[in-house]
Amino acid sequence: MIVFTIILILLAILGAPLFAIIATSAMLGFSSIDEPLMNVAIELMRMVDLQFLSAIPLFTFAGYLLSESNAPQRLVRMTQAVLGWMPGGLALVCLVVCAFFTAFTGASGVTIIALGAILYPALQQDGYNDKFNLGLVTTSGSLGLLFAPSLPLILYGVVAEVSIDDLFKAGLIPGFLMIGMLSAWCIWVSRKNTRELRKFSWSELVSAVRESIWEIPLPFVVLGSVYSGFLAVSEAAAITVVYVFIVEVLILREIKFRDLPRVVRESMLLVGGILIILGLSLASTSYTILAGVPATLFEYLSEFVSSQTTFLILLLLFLLLLGAILDIFSAIVLVVPLLLPVAALYDVNTIHLGIVFLAAMQLGYMTPPVGLNLFIASYRFEKPIMQVYSATLPFLLILMLSVILITFWPSLSLWLLR
Amino acid sequence: MARLIAFFGKLDKAGRIAENVALMIVLAGMVIVAFLQIIAREVFDTGVIWANELIRLMVLWLAMVGAVAACRDNRHIRIDLLSHLLPEKIVTAIRIFVDLFAAVVCAVVAWLVWEFIKLEVELEFTVLGDLPVFPAHVIVPLAFALLSYRFGVLVIKQTLELFTSPEEEASP
Repeated sequence: MIVFTIILILLAILGAPLFAIIATSAMLGFSSIDEPLMNVAIELMRMVDLQFLSAIPLFTFAGYLLSESNAPQRLVRMTQAVLGWMPGGLALVCLVVCAFFTAFTGASGVTIIALGAILYPALQQDGYNDKFNLGLVTTSGSLGLLFAPSLPLILYGVVAEVSIDDLFKAGLIPGFLMIGMLSAWCIWVSRKNTRELRKFSWSELVSAVRESIWEIPLPFVVLGSVYSGFLAVSEAAAITVVYVFIVEVLILREIKFRDLPRVVRESMLLVGGILIILGLSLASTSYTILAGVPATLFEYLSEFVSSQTTFLILLLLFLLLLGAILDIFSAIVLVVPLLLPVAALYDVNTIHLGIVFLAAMQLGYMTPPVGLNLFIASYRFEKPIMQVYSATLPFLLILMLSVILITFWPSLSLWLLR
Repeated sequence: MARLIAFFGKLDKAGRIAENVALMIVLAGMVIVAFLQIIAREVFDTGVIWANELIRLMVLWLAMVGAVAACRDNRHIRIDLLSHLLPEKIVTAIRIFVDLFAAVVCAVVAWLVWEFIKLEVELEFTVLGDLPVFPAHVIVPLAFALLSYRFGVLVIKQTLELFTSPEEEASP
């Protein structure tokens, strides 16, 4: 069994599709405890029993529609009209816009591609130094992960079987903490920027608002309906698709009908890739539970980990390592089911665990060797990867500090739930 | 040989179109059902019991067709570590090996799910009230069979790539 595990890990590192690795581990697992292989099929088909799963394809499609339209440009213009007059204004614009956009597009690298092209040259023009810009845009690409309706939040809710509405509320303060700490750093850095500050202009604000008049209600429609508990998350997702479709395709006509097959395909490729991993991980998880892995894990841990604090420290180290090699979606479906029972024994709240998990995995987007944002930024802005690493480092350290705060201060996540 | 290549080119095009059409129909259907369900409940205070189940079945279809489409565009989630470190030829050689592995795994899963669905049919399971389970669930073994086939195609394509001379490779 150990030999097989090593071979599988090796295959995964060599680049075998992860769903095939997970399927094999489930089959090997079941056969090792003399259970029929048919269990893999039974568990896979259990996918149709998962509640709220439709939110994932629906929000993904809405996000791709938005990123294909001119909404990113309008969003930048409006945020700039609101924040642009502050010192470090454009950097703040970058953080806020990217966070908002990532929340809607599910942290799949779309943010850097859709917004980087606008923000990166704009930052350069405003006299920020190049290294700072590169780091900022790369970091911003996954910033909105903790805000509704990001895919990782929904996926965690589905896998951990906790209320997605609660997760949405819990992510708010930690998410703002991350933006706040990064903003403070940006303002500090840009104190040296000698360029004259922009003036705040009412007329620019009014005209920017008028331009984005159709998109402004969107966050209120989505977040309002979910946070108020008026609609289930999957229903809010359906409303979002209908709204975005009407605005971008029928009213503004920025996406032509002939483009729709491509946008649908692009978004559903991502969905198919995530959900097939989810389906097969149901099988591998069922084996690990049958084989009593969480209990063994806890027994082993409890020998040298006695307090919740030590557990959280270990958890954080583990997640940082995990995030460096595994993408966030696979990490959620594979690790969360094992983690939940163990964390419960250390009295860690499931919602808090989710926020910690996602916040720590967010760093994985920026940590070598496989950080997705690093490669997208390197490719998009034609910079050597080592340069992107070093440009991102200060931002990474600040985010790491915020993740530590989020981990050891549970009230940040849980305060809004009381 | 040229005819064979043309045939596979056409097959690829047809497959791509079929995937796009299937994805669009199912996604549109899902949006419409979900939207009507909200209207029915909030405005007319009624609803259909099986609407939720139908949506969940549609998610299954989207996931399966999406997975097949992701394979055609070589976009399945992998740990992408070596492609940044090793020369291209070696990466291709490794890819051939791991994709062959994926093709075999998909074939096994396809067979397992097929056996399970035969069992479901035997036991006269139903979906959406009293409709037969077979047409609703058959997408899963079908998708895994197609995935196995597609990974096989990827293996052949990459093998050919590996053995073409550098001059040919240079031309786009």
